[in-house]
Amino acid sequence: MTLTRRHLVALALAAPAAFALPAAAAETVKLGYQLPLTGNTAQYGQDFKTAAEIALARFNASGRIPAKVEIVFEDSRSDAKEGVTIARKFVDDEKIVGVLGDFTSGVSMAAAQVYKEAGMPQLSQTASHPDYTKISEWQFRNITTQAGEGPYNADWMVAKGYKKVAVIAEQTDWGQSVTKYFADEIAAKGGKVVLTEYFNRGLPDFRSLLTKIQREKPDAIYTGFFYEDAANFLKQMKQLGIAIPVYSTSAAHNQKVIELAGADAEGLSLTTNFLPNSPKPEVKEFVAEWVKVRGAEPGQFPAQAFDAVNIMLEAVVKTYPKSTRAAIRDALAATKDFPGVTGSTTFGADREPVKQLSKVRIVGGVFTPVAD
Amino acid sequence: MSEFVRGRLVPLLVLLVVFALVPYGLAKFGKGYFFQVAQLVLIYALLAVSLHLVTGAAGLLHLGHAAFYGVGAYVAALLGTEMKLGFLWGLPAAGLAAAALAFVVALPTMRLVSIYFAVATLAIGQMIHTVLLNWVAVTKGPNGVMLFSGITLFGTPVKSPIAIYFLVAGLVALSIWVLHRLSHSYYGNALRSLREDDQCADAMGVDTVRLKIEVFTVSAFFAGIAGALWAYTTGYVSPGDFGFNTSILVLAMIVVGGLGSLPGAIIGAALLILLPEVLRGVGDLRNVMVGIVMFVSILFLPRGLLGEVSALSLVRRGFGLKWGAAPSDREVGWR
Repeated sequence: MTLTRRHLVALALAAPAAFALPAAAAETVKLGYQLPLTGNTAQYGQDFKTAAEIALARFNASGRIPAKVEIVFEDSRSDAKEGVTIARKFVDDEKIVGVLGDFTSGVSMAAAQVYKEAGMPQLSQTASHPDYTKISEWQFRNITTQAGEGPYNADWMVAKGYKKVAVIAEQTDWGQSVTKYFADEIAAKGGKVVLTEYFNRGLPDFRSLLTKIQREKPDAIYTGFFYEDAANFLKQMKQLGIAIPVYSTSAAHNQKVIELAGADAEGLSLTTNFLPNSPKPEVKEFVAEWVKVRGAEPGQFPAQAFDAVNIMLEAVVKTYPKSTRAAIRDALAATKDFPGVTGSTTFGADREPVKQLSKVRIVGGVFTPVAD
Repeated sequence: MSEFVRGRLVPLLVLLVVFALVPYGLAKFGKGYFFQVAQLVLIYALLAVSLHLVTGAAGLLHLGHAAFYGVGAYVAALLGTEMKLGFLWGLPAAGLAAAALAFVVALPTMRLVSIYFAVATLAIGQMIHTVLLNWVAVTKGPNGVMLFSGITLFGTPVKSPIAIYFLVAGLVALSIWVLHRLSHSYYGNALRSLREDDQCADAMGVDTVRLKIEVFTVSAFFAGIAGALWAYTTGYVSPGDFGFNTSILVLAMIVVGGLGSLPGAIIGAALLILLPEVLRGVGDLRNVMVGIVMFVSILFLPRGLLGEVSALSLVRRGFGLKWGAAPSDREVGWR
């Protein structure tokens, strides 16, 4: 029968995979990390993996608990069906007591349904959807939501005398929250949003959007974008000769903005809670390690991932040797004034992080802390 | 008689595997992960078989199938959250909504042929995806829809993984049975005549445009059912799950399995869902390996893992002599 040969081909190709599965080590505390290591958002996932490896190596070398901690990385490709499958896989592994990730809110929330049902603590470094932590008491995040950042930026701009503001953001759940919280605050402070526009992530041509903005003659532009779009937007803005101050969120705080946009990035103002040139010893150590691996300074997101992993490891220390999923959850919920590289972190009763924000501007090709 | 038994044997074995062996294994090893993977295989098998009807049998290259899957998922999820209508309403409504939309867009498109049809369906898929993403007032836009209510059947909540598995497997099996009867009948032969030479079919009195609209609508109905199953088994839908990538994935399933072959579509779905999972241990290279497997299978088995000719003769045996057993295995099908 023709089937046999065909099956053999498929089997022969699939067989090496069976042997490649890693063997579980004994006497270790296991954590799961679901993140996009391949696909459209792989660059972020790869950053998180590096950050997690730095945090883990440092922790295991410190000997704070008599056992080793292991992190199981699984590639979700930012695909919800993969994310849910990974979540089931982590839940099935009884040794896994806590999970980090995913990257996008969509995948994090799809996986969260599994974690909620199974009772597994989940700490995402980047899921910023307003409803993510509302899913259940098992969801935590280590990213300041726009509920904090939007009003902070609005106050900053009003203080600078910018009352007529154009707002643009990417068409994602996060982009929606960027415009919403900002608009609420600026209206309350007597300012006005003269234009709100959304664009799809990865838009190659911002010119029509820029022309629209120019027509409204705003005092400033508030933007919700990530580094690729930020660089494109700033470059094309300079090409069109538009000179309006641009403000943004911590999502654009990435060295790559300066690399890609060069001099055109000059003057971009944004909020952040991670300053790579801060004199704090924990920041210096992380930045030095990161530069050793990657050769460039880390941005905001790897720093958030680094802190998220450390917060999780801290919960392991607090609960060891009785690190159950429930105990880890309670320890996470009790996190208070954790000294991370993104500032001190406390989880509120709503499992949202409370963090200090700082103001930064690109001056002379460097993210420079500024007072106004 | 032995022909009859041989023909019945394969479907019986498949049913035995799906309804006895797999659930037994799942229950024995009791792991949610395997349930999840099994459910995904079933849902994608339904998607692939529904696309098989349009692309495999009728020969219309459909590049927007995932959009109708998305419409089904959204209708089920939104009915569940906004209108508090449970699974029993959501499931048929999802199928009907997807079918209704497909019918409307099919009216102008179905006069197109070959590459023009493909581009039109590509555009339809992208438009629906863009609407899901940007019509924030109704679809919640990029925020997606969270469906908190689980599956309830006649007042009884279906909660245990094994019960949900049986429900999904039962619905998928029923849907595939309907698609099988459509595909392997005089109706299916009419569809194949469209594919082989639509002008000739037209000249022979086959109403080609009507047939295309019908098959497109029926296919979307079952894609909508698959969407509802995805929404209810996952609990959260967002536009990203229903983009062009998903359309291409489903298309790849039916090509690898064998264009025009219904069992091939199921095999293709199982392969392309299971392979990336089996290869998880390989790490970052797994997508490359999946690509290599697809490439090699197309290179050496251009008619698919279970090509149309062998699939048809398999089915013919199942029908005994009732459905035109060919005097010899004449060469029909995708070449």
